[in-house]
Amino acid sequence: MMQDVKIWFDRNLKGDPIIWGIVIILSVISIVVVYSATGSLAYKYKGGNTEKYLFDHSLMVVAGLLVMWVAHKIPYKTFGLIGKFLLLVAIPLLFLTYLFGSTVNEANRWLTIPVINKAFQPSDIAKLALIATLASLLARKQKNIADFKNSFIPMMIVIGLVCGLIGLANMSTAVLLFVTCLLLLLIGRVPLRHIMLVVLLGSLFLTTSVFIGQRGGTFFSRIENFVSGDEIPFQAEQSFIAISTGGITGKGPGKSEQRNTLPHPYSDFIYAIIIEEYGLVGGATVLFLYLALLFRGMRIVASSTKPFGGLLSAGLSFALVLQAMVNMAVAVGLGPITGLPLPLLSMGGTSLVFTGFSLGIILSVSRGDHQDMVESPEEGNNKIRKSFQTA
Amino acid sequence: MNIKRSIVLRVRIAFILVALFAGAIFYRIVHLQFVEGDKWQAKSETLNFQFRQVSATRGNIYAADGSLLATSLPFYRVVLDPLVAKQDVFASGIDSLSFLLSSYYKDKSADSYKRLIKDARSSGKRYVILNRGQIGYQDMQKMSRWPIFRKGRMGGGVIFEKVEKRYRPFNNLASRTVGFVNEDKYGAGIEYSFNEYLEGKNGKALFQRIAGGSWKPVFDAEDIKPDDGFDILTTLDVNIQDVAESALLRQLKEKDAAFGSVIVMEVATGHIKAIANLQKNSGGYGYGENYNFAIGDQGLTEPGSTFKLLSIMALLEEGKINLKDTVDTGNGTYRFYDRNMNDVKIGGYGKITIQEAFEKSSNVGISKLVEEQFGKNPTKFVSYIEKAGLDKPMDFQLRGEGVPYFKKPGEKNWYGTTLPWMSIGYEAKLTPLHTLTLYNAVANNGKMVKPMIVQAVVRGNQIEKRYQTEVLRKSIASNKTIQQMQELLEGVVKNGTAKNVYNKEYKIAGKTGTAQKLIDGRYSQRYYTSFAGYFPADNPKYSAIVVIDSPKGFAAYGGDISAPVFKEIADKIYSQDLELNNKANEDTFVASTSSEGFPYIQAGKVDELQMICNRFGISNHVNGEFTDSFVKSSAQHKAILWRANKTDAPTVPDVAGMSLRDALYVLENKGLRVVYQGKGRVKGQSISPGSTVGTGNVINLVLG
Repeated sequence: MMQDVKIWFDRNLKGDPIIWGIVIILSVISIVVVYSATGSLAYKYKGGNTEKYLFDHSLMVVAGLLVMWVAHKIPYKTFGLIGKFLLLVAIPLLFLTYLFGSTVNEANRWLTIPVINKAFQPSDIAKLALIATLASLLARKQKNIADFKNSFIPMMIVIGLVCGLIGLANMSTAVLLFVTCLLLLLIGRVPLRHIMLVVLLGSLFLTTSVFIGQRGGTFFSRIENFVSGDEIPFQAEQSFIAISTGGITGKGPGKSEQRNTLPHPYSDFIYAIIIEEYGLVGGATVLFLYLALLFRGMRIVASSTKPFGGLLSAGLSFALVLQAMVNMAVAVGLGPITGLPLPLLSMGGTSLVFTGFSLGIILSVSRGDHQDMVESPEEGNNKIRKSFQTA
Repeated sequence: MNIKRSIVLRVRIAFILVALFAGAIFYRIVHLQFVEGDKWQAKSETLNFQFRQVSATRGNIYAADGSLLATSLPFYRVVLDPLVAKQDVFASGIDSLSFLLSSYYKDKSADSYKRLIKDARSSGKRYVILNRGQIGYQDMQKMSRWPIFRKGRMGGGVIFEKVEKRYRPFNNLASRTVGFVNEDKYGAGIEYSFNEYLEGKNGKALFQRIAGGSWKPVFDAEDIKPDDGFDILTTLDVNIQDVAESALLRQLKEKDAAFGSVIVMEVATGHIKAIANLQKNSGGYGYGENYNFAIGDQGLTEPGSTFKLLSIMALLEEGKINLKDTVDTGNGTYRFYDRNMNDVKIGGYGKITIQEAFEKSSNVGISKLVEEQFGKNPTKFVSYIEKAGLDKPMDFQLRGEGVPYFKKPGEKNWYGTTLPWMSIGYEAKLTPLHTLTLYNAVANNGKMVKPMIVQAVVRGNQIEKRYQTEVLRKSIASNKTIQQMQELLEGVVKNGTAKNVYNKEYKIAGKTGTAQKLIDGRYSQRYYTSFAGYFPADNPKYSAIVVIDSPKGFAAYGGDISAPVFKEIADKIYSQDLELNNKANEDTFVASTSSEGFPYIQAGKVDELQMICNRFGISNHVNGEFTDSFVKSSAQHKAILWRANKTDAPTVPDVAGMSLRDALYVLENKGLRVVYQGKGRVKGQSISPGSTVGTGNVINLVLG
């Protein structure tokens, strides 16, 4: 029996088995915690039908896993091209959303797909596409990475444009993506002095979009509040109560009390609910799982034979884990309230599908058996391969 | 260093940074749990949060012409978060704000308001109820321009908490019909019956309990917005309702009666134009609307002689009698089994026609005829009641409709005397609404429509649901029978028991009723008097019923008690309804213009009067120069001369000749309270022009 399962896994789930394991464990935790956290939501909106949220969320989790499975079957080299294509789609979509998207908390972030009637955030697509494109650009320019005009400028334009557009409606996501991109540039061997210039220009760009965008006021007032520290916002206060009353082993599954008063207990503050119900142990476990995920993503970089695969894997892993870290930091009071969900755990609808897609790409890189696909037979590339092989 | 090694190294450094960050998160959790733990746990016990209801705005109730019968008005409680205002705003505004608060509420000195706010600010209180009193919308607007307050909720910290109150612009007019709903969702009238539409859907928002048991909204939390209620458009006519109530009240007071009801209905549509219910207050003084006797359970009574209409209908439908046939009522007493049936007239009516028996409301005559015709087969008689739709509730739009009660042949309580007594309106129970529906059907040439009081459910200009007139019976009897019944009802007013309401202007048709009240199983000397009918009889537009319970005094008959109320209401409706009295109006115009030169233009606003005169081609001139907009007029040859009325002088103005509207405007602007009587223009005023004005003094006006 066990043998059969193992054979099935070996045949169908290629790539790093530990990443598969972590994702599946997190998915299960997600379903259990979201079910508990949506209790009050169900009472307010669905007349007490808690299963409605359980069912919807489980469906999205499964959809995410399915997309992950499909993506990990695709040879990772095509993602350079797919990334560029998605970027071309995402930019007009971001514009469209800014102008016509549906409003949640006074910011237009959601666009509804007409036929299946599911709302999604174009920023999810843009994020994925930008990292893939950036990884591909970095890989191609490795030979003359220090060239300011030919390597640096094109990359900067792409980053600035996408982050700026996202920043119009969703400053937190834009800043996080920007930081992730900077990290990726650093990893991709871009000279530090160039990056300092990016920091300067980037912050200029973001400041502009704050003034013409919708959420600038909220964004800065939150930061101001956090830095001055004289007033703890209501959400943070409720979150701290959840964390401190959780204790070492927690109140037990489904026993959260703070879910009734803590806003968005199923997304922004799900980590507080996890600690309240499963205690310090549960919180540390989740923290460890994300770190482990990042660690496995990093190992892929070391084992990959080409810079594109390594950079793609590193970019996507860092994007995911950094967001997770920021979300958890907010819950425990280490950062200002951002409104970023916890990837893989929060009830996030279609976001889960895009997270699944990123993980699928990472797994695809980790398979390693796609590497013999032929790349464009350029001299430069051959040279790089040679240098990798000597490593 | 080659490329790959360099990349891997950088990734490792980045990983270590992230791991350190994760360590910080872990440390922070531990810190929150073990170092700050007590603080947060204590806070979780003191903070008390709750999702509380945010009430939806209740819909309005309108009369047919759009007048508001009931609406929800917002009132506000003024609360301040004293920490919100920045120091400079606070320092510069606190003195004048305290002063304004003190002079508005008049309960504390400016100093104590200042102390209250300053103390709260320094001790970090975030929610100070400045005053528990509730202020209106206008005052709220005014207050939001005060210092500190004018910076709003985010800049000044002022919170105007909304409290909704039900308000009736016409006070007690139709109050029982408009009804109420209490917090347990129990109530009466339209408010109760249409609560589902009116109440809307309440929202929810997170509130925090603060000292003193108040709840403060937490604005960061996610809320569900309330969905406001629909408006209800009734069929009630404010003027007719007013007429009905005042006519009924006068008669109740005069006769010291226990209670009375009036329903006025439009014949063709079944639209109820007025329902008045007045009952002697429990203290014994005055009358109030406490129960809907016209419709409800407690209004169920033995109808008395108004029910004879149904008996006659049954007799005529059988086709074996003629109105000109005679019936012997003898000496006014007739014995059925063990009970005597008596007529009102001592000594009896002798031998009279059937028509006379109905017009004079002879109990002996009607009951004898019914017993002869249906004595062998009482079920047949009962089937006519069913045919007329009187045996069942009509599913009226208001809840709590009384269920009619009729005995059935073959049941235990059906005696030999039941049929004769039932034929004159005893041993059965009906509400006034049921009786009226029957009379309305006769007025409507046999077509029985269902009475209705709500014509539409609306929101803004959008009609959510429209209620159409429902036809209960296409025809309750043959055309010939209906025609004969109409003749009989007209005869009652012309020759019979309601002769006192006969008038030449227009015809009233109807039937009186006087029922002895059954108290503790015995018929007492207390009466239930009624009059049901319709007008104008030639082309009926309105039907109405008046019932008055337990009047005191000598003449306690329907013709003397209820019929005059009916006439008073009919007269007023007739005189107000343009459709009904086109002709009459023309007559009065001719009469008045021919009597004097320019009698109609006496005093008023100069621009309006000039416009009227110019329109009619009457030459008019201004005498001298003046600034006042009110003028008096005098005739000079064939023209009119305007003179200034000096209403802006600080003395009591001369309002003689003005219309009531202008007089009210001028006098009330001076601070006088106006009491008036009569109709038309001002003929006299109780305080002579030119005397000093005492604010709040009462000035009596006589109109005519």
